Amino acid sequence: MNKNKKAKVRILLEFIRYSIIVFGAFWMILPFFWLFSASLMTPEELLSDVPKWLPAKPQWNNYLEVLKRIPLLMYYKNSFIVAITVTLIVVFTSSFSGYSFAKLRFPGRKIMFRFVLSTMMFPVFIFLIPVYYLMKLFGWLDNYLSLIVPFVVSGYGIFLMRQFIMTIPDELLDSARIDGASEFRIYISIILPLLKPALATLGILTFIGQWNSFLWPLIVTTSSQHLMTLPVGISRLSLAFSTTETQHLILTALVYQVIPMVVVFLYLQRYYIRGFVLSGFGNI
Amino acid sequence: MRIKSPNKRTLAGYIFLLPAVLFYSLFFGFPVIFSFIVSTRRWNMLVPLSRARVVGFSHYEYLLNNELFMRALFNTLTYSLITVSVSLTIALIFAVLINGAKFSVLWRFIYFAPVVTPQVAIGTIWGYLYRPNNGLLNSFLKLFGIKPVYWLTDPDVALFSIMLTAIWSGIGGSMLILTAGLRNIPQDYYDAAKIDGAGPFKQFWYITVPLLKPTLLFLTATGMIGAWQVFDLPFIMGRNAPAKSVMTVSWYVYETAFQSLRMGRASAGAFLLFCVIFSVTLLVLWTFRRGGIEGYE
Repeated sequence: MNKNKKAKVRILLEFIRYSIIVFGAFWMILPFFWLFSASLMTPEELLSDVPKWLPAKPQWNNYLEVLKRIPLLMYYKNSFIVAITVTLIVVFTSSFSGYSFAKLRFPGRKIMFRFVLSTMMFPVFIFLIPVYYLMKLFGWLDNYLSLIVPFVVSGYGIFLMRQFIMTIPDELLDSARIDGASEFRIYISIILPLLKPALATLGILTFIGQWNSFLWPLIVTTSSQHLMTLPVGISRLSLAFSTTETQHLILTALVYQVIPMVVVFLYLQRYYIRGFVLSGFGNI
Repeated sequence: MRIKSPNKRTLAGYIFLLPAVLFYSLFFGFPVIFSFIVSTRRWNMLVPLSRARVVGFSHYEYLLNNELFMRALFNTLTYSLITVSVSLTIALIFAVLINGAKFSVLWRFIYFAPVVTPQVAIGTIWGYLYRPNNGLLNSFLKLFGIKPVYWLTDPDVALFSIMLTAIWSGIGGSMLILTAGLRNIPQDYYDAAKIDGAGPFKQFWYITVPLLKPTLLFLTATGMIGAWQVFDLPFIMGRNAPAKSVMTVSWYVYETAFQSLRMGRASAGAFLLFCVIFSVTLLVLWTFRRGGIEGYE
């Protein structure tokens, strides 16, 4: 009797659990679902007084129309060049410094690491004006360099890499040292191979961050429009499609910009979570 | 030979740090000093800084007495407190519910989708959902007989609407990190609690929450630092809000610097923002430390 009751309670709890999960998932998907549906609507459908869930007849032509009106491929190209370059360099600089902080002993190590951590507390807004000024001084404003160079070292990346590298046993490095390997050699042939999952995590984080970054590209590319990245392009969509006849194309353009990231992530998600678990985020 | 090898490692330590040191000198040290000097000048970036007029701390004085800046400060305070706490609470609940559930990979993917989506795109999509006459949200409310809400144009509601979107988009990221934290909690603890007769709620409150504290500390601190600098969502969604009711500190700094070309005043605003973020971070660390958590080292 008692057992039976317990089982019932458990079933009820499980039912509530999955209801909440599904309810949350519904709200998470809703904006994306609506975006996709609305991207196929006519302007009349989008502006009708009773909101429509689905277009009467999907307007696939919207997707071609958008490409004719805005330089979407150029935005893609710019975003990709910037994000991939920054990611590759950040992965390198972070593991480099992370190795030094985790495994090499030298005076000032602790204070320098504290300094790196504290840089993360500085708001980007302190840097906007001076770095813009530097870019102008170097003559980089009409060049990818202005979008790339200010981001090639990341305090967070150094911190993450140090946490990973600390878990590599010292004995491994010491035996290589006894064999006469230089520190650089150890970094290349022992640290880097063991670091692959961590590098993937950091790489994905950096790439997503750069791909979505808005403020800095907005500031830099106002004077050089050929460098505009996707988010800056999105923010100008309402300018490009300001009339009622073209209003619905804003949403079509958004699909172009949202879908690739979500699809890429679907593929990489496993790596991403594994990276976090390995980094020992639970017990920093 | 024995003496030589530690020296070699010392030297290597510095060499490995060289790229970072160069970077930080140029893109951290110089900007902080330069920015502080600018904050005591009246400068529009068009003339050399040496010709700009020295005004001492009058920009700081101006800002602290300026209604718009104080409003921006208050808005950002509200925004950061509410979005970080609510989003983290929801993320914690869902992380626990989804951990070990059927199809957990699918759920996690769905909840994470907003995190990889550009904030600018999220702001635009939600701008459509929030439309007063033909937006989806108001049509939901209509089902319950509630009058249409002017989500983004009513000055009393606009900031709240933006926070709602921010909470929505932040859940997945925290959830993922909390999931990693959950997996580090040994299953034995729960088994032992079950033997002692603790139900799921007691297990959550007495095992999960205390053991997740370091993760929660990390997420609160980084969440606060991020939220205080929020720019994308208010900038995209708040364009039509009247009387700058959703003005944030970051937006104020951006506009002052790059629209009005008042570099001095903008730099002073940025430094005030730094003071706030610095104090908030210390406060978060201090609160958690009193709760028995060590910092990370």
